[in-house]
Amino acid sequence: MLMFALRRILVSIPVLIGITLILFIMLNVVPGDPVALMMKEHASPEVIERVRAQMHLDDPLVVRYLSFLWNALQGDLGNSIKLNRPVTDLLLKAFPNTLMLAVCAALVSWVIGIPAGILSAVRRDSLLDRFFMGFSLLGVSMPVFWSALLLQYVFAMQLKLLPVSGFYGWEYMVLPAIVLGWSSAGVSARLTRSSLLEVMRHDYIRTARAKGLRETGVITRHALKNALIPVVTIMAIQVSGLLSGAVITEAIFSIPGVGRITVNAISSRDMPLLQGAVLFATVLVILGNLVADILYSVLDPRIRSQMKKDA
Amino acid sequence: MTSKTTVKLLLASGLASLMLMSPALAENMLRVSYSEDPKTADGQMTTDAYTLPLNIFDRLVESETTGPGESALVPGLAETWDVSEDGLTYTFHLRQGVKFHDGAVLTADDVVYTFDRMLNPATKALNTDILTFIAGAEDRLDGTADSVSGLKALDDHTVQITLAQPYAAFLALLAAPGASIYNRAFTEAAGDQFGLTPETTNGTGPFILRDYTLNDSQMLEANEDYWRGRPKLDRLLVRVVSDSETLRMLFESDEIDVLDLDYAPTQTPYFYGSDQWKDQIRSGPRVGIYYYNINQLKKPFDDVRVRKAFQIAIDRQTILDKNFYGKGKLEDGVIPRGLTCYAPAEPIEYNPAKARELLAEAGYPDGVEINLQQVSSWSTKWSDMNQIIQAQVAEAGFKANIVTTDEAAFLDARKAGEAEAYTQVWSADFNDPDNFFYTFFSESGSKTRGYNNDDPEVFAGIEKARGMVDQEERCKLYQDLTARIVGEDAAWVPLFSLDHSYVVQPRVKNFVVPWNGWSDMNYFNVEVE
Repeated sequence: MLMFALRRILVSIPVLIGITLILFIMLNVVPGDPVALMMKEHASPEVIERVRAQMHLDDPLVVRYLSFLWNALQGDLGNSIKLNRPVTDLLLKAFPNTLMLAVCAALVSWVIGIPAGILSAVRRDSLLDRFFMGFSLLGVSMPVFWSALLLQYVFAMQLKLLPVSGFYGWEYMVLPAIVLGWSSAGVSARLTRSSLLEVMRHDYIRTARAKGLRETGVITRHALKNALIPVVTIMAIQVSGLLSGAVITEAIFSIPGVGRITVNAISSRDMPLLQGAVLFATVLVILGNLVADILYSVLDPRIRSQMKKDA
Repeated sequence: MTSKTTVKLLLASGLASLMLMSPALAENMLRVSYSEDPKTADGQMTTDAYTLPLNIFDRLVESETTGPGESALVPGLAETWDVSEDGLTYTFHLRQGVKFHDGAVLTADDVVYTFDRMLNPATKALNTDILTFIAGAEDRLDGTADSVSGLKALDDHTVQITLAQPYAAFLALLAAPGASIYNRAFTEAAGDQFGLTPETTNGTGPFILRDYTLNDSQMLEANEDYWRGRPKLDRLLVRVVSDSETLRMLFESDEIDVLDLDYAPTQTPYFYGSDQWKDQIRSGPRVGIYYYNINQLKKPFDDVRVRKAFQIAIDRQTILDKNFYGKGKLEDGVIPRGLTCYAPAEPIEYNPAKARELLAEAGYPDGVEINLQQVSSWSTKWSDMNQIIQAQVAEAGFKANIVTTDEAAFLDARKAGEAEAYTQVWSADFNDPDNFFYTFFSESGSKTRGYNNDDPEVFAGIEKARGMVDQEERCKLYQDLTARIVGEDAAWVPLFSLDHSYVVQPRVKNFVVPWNGWSDMNYFNVEVE
C-alpha cells in the first residue's frame, strides 16, 4: 500500500511540472498586461512601463519560467502582482476558509444524499423515491447562484434566521454549506440509489435473503458495503473539487477563500498568484484521487490484491 | 439540566449570536462596503482604492467638500504654506504636536522621507505621477540619484519643495490620497510590508487600522489623539462585497449602513421609488464625465466631418433618462461641472438629419460602417449604452458593430493605436483641468489613450497651461482648448456627468457625498446614532 502511494506521488510530479508549463505558456499567449490591468485607467503609461521593468515582467519567457520553477522547488511561489503579498501566504490564509466550507458542504451532501439514495433504492418507485430523486435533480440542475439567492431571500431577508453573507461565525456557514452541499447531494443520492439497486440484483443478496436474514440486515450488512464503493470514490473526488474553490458560492457569500483568489487572479492576469492557485488545486485533486484509490482498496479486497501485484 | 437553565442558556447564546451578527448595535460603528479588496493601506501602492489611505493618514493639504460638487484646499498637516513668485518653491509650515498612531511626533523629516520613498525605485510605487514635478524627481526614479534635490527639511517643522518647472496643479495634487504622509522610522522598519497589515500600518489620521482580512473586511478604530479631535465613530467596518444582489440584501437586513448605488446601479429605481428608502438617499454631483473615445487612426474617424456627425447623432438626453434614470446633466466640454475653471461650452445638438448630411459630404452618402468596442469585464452599463447608441446613430447612417473583448486585449489594442471607439467615464483625481486635458489630449495622452488627435497647437496649449500662474488667464486658455478640441476638431464626444447616490440607514448622520463623487471617502465627520 505504501509503495503504491509513493509510486502514485512520484508519477504526479511530471504532471505538476507539465501543468505549470502549460499554464505559463497559456498565460503568456493570451493578451494582457498585468501591470496595466492592476493600475487601471488612472496611471500614466510611463509609470506602467517602469513598474513592469521593476517586476521583471520584461525578462524573456524562458528566464521567467525557470526562475519560477527554481523558486517553487524551494517552496517560494513568488509575490502576487496585484496584492503584493507572498502567494504561499495568500493561499494558506484562504485555505482554512475554503476547507471549512468544503467540509460543511460535504457533510450536508452526505447526510442528505446517502440516506436519501438508500431510502429511494429500498422504496423504489414509491412516492418517497420520486420525492428524493426530484429533490436531488433540483439540486444538481439548479445553478448555485440561483439557489444561493433563493435561500438568502427566504432565510435571511424574510425569516431573518440567518445572516445574508459574510464570514464571522458558524451561523454564516449554514447557507453556503447548504447551497454547495445540495448540488453535490444530488450526485451522491442518485449514485447511492443506482449502485444499491445494482447490488441488490446480485446472487449473494438472494442467498442472504434465503438464509432468512431480516431485510435491514441484508441491506446494511451485505448490500450497502458493496454499493458504497463507487460512492466513496466520488466523495473523495467531490471533496478535492470543493477544496480547489467554490468560486461562485464564495463570491455570493463573501467568503475569503481560494476560489475568489483564483478568479481575481485570472481577471487581473496575476500570473504568480494564478500559477500558485492552480498548482495548489492540482495537488489537491491528485491527493483526492489518491485517497479515493486507497479507500477503494480498503473497501474492496479485489483491488487490494491487484495493488500488491502492481507494487 | 433544569428547564430554567436551558432557557437561560438559550437566551445567552441567542444574545451572543445577535451581538455577533450586528456588532453595530453594541457600539458606535459605521458599516460600509466596497466591491473589491483595497489590497493595501499604502496610498503610494494603489491607484484605485483610497478609503484606507484617506482614513488612516493625513496629507499636507486636504481637499474638503464645501458644497455639492464643490471643494476647497484646506490646511492638513501643513498649517500654512508660501509659494514663491515664480511658482517654483513651496514652503510648508507643519502643524506642531501631531502624533502618529504609535506615538511618534510628526517632523519635517517624515515628509521628506515620505516623498523620497515614493520616488525611490526600490519602492516600486504606483503613484509617482503626483511628485514627478519636483526638481530631481526623475533622476531619483531613474536610479541616477540617491535623493531628491528638490526636497528639503529646513528645520523640524518646515519643508521646502522646489519644482523643476512651475505647475499650477501641484497643491491640488498634494491633497491626493497617494500623497499621504508616513513616519520614517516606522515605515523603514516595516519595509515592503508597510500598509499590508495592522501591525505594519501607522499614520496620523482619524482612524487606526485594527484588523485586515483579505477579501473580507477591514476594521478601523477611532484615533483618540487625533489632532482635529476624536472622530464621532468608535469604529469603522469596511466590508468587501462583490455581488450586488448580496449587497442590497445586506443593506436591507441592516447589516450594512451605507449602500453605494454605484455597486448596485440596477437597484436605483427601486430605492428611489421605495417609501421606506427614498428619504434616505444622499445624492451629489460627480466631478466626472462620461465620454465616447474616437480613434482618429481608424477610418472613417480620420475625417472630422464623420466625427462631427457621430457627435450629433447621439441623443444623450435619452441615454441619461433611460439608462441612468435622469440622474445627471449633459456635458459639452472636456471638463465636467464642479471642476476648477469649469464654464459651459457650446452646446452639442442632437441632429441626425444634419449628421446624415455630414456623412454624405465626407463621401459616405449611403452610410458607413463603424465598430464600437466594449470590454467583457466592465459593468453592463457600458454594453447597455453601446446598444442604445448603436440604434441611435443608425438613424444618421452609421452601421455600428459592437465588438467585445476582454480588458487585457482592449488595452493592448489601444496601446498599438488600434482601439475601436469606446465609451468610458473619467472622474477627477484632483481638482484641476490638467487632470483631464493632460490625460487625454497632451502629446503622450492623446496617443496612449487612443485618440491620436495629432494637434501640435493643442499639445503646446496644454503644456503652457500647466505652468501658468494667473488663474484667470489659465481658465481662459482651457476654454479655448475646449472649443478647439470639442467644437472644431470633434476629437472628443462628451456625454454627461452623473450624480452619485447612496442610500443610508436612518441611524447614519452627517453623511456628505464627497465633492468629486468618489466612492472612497473620509468618514471623520460621519456619525451614527
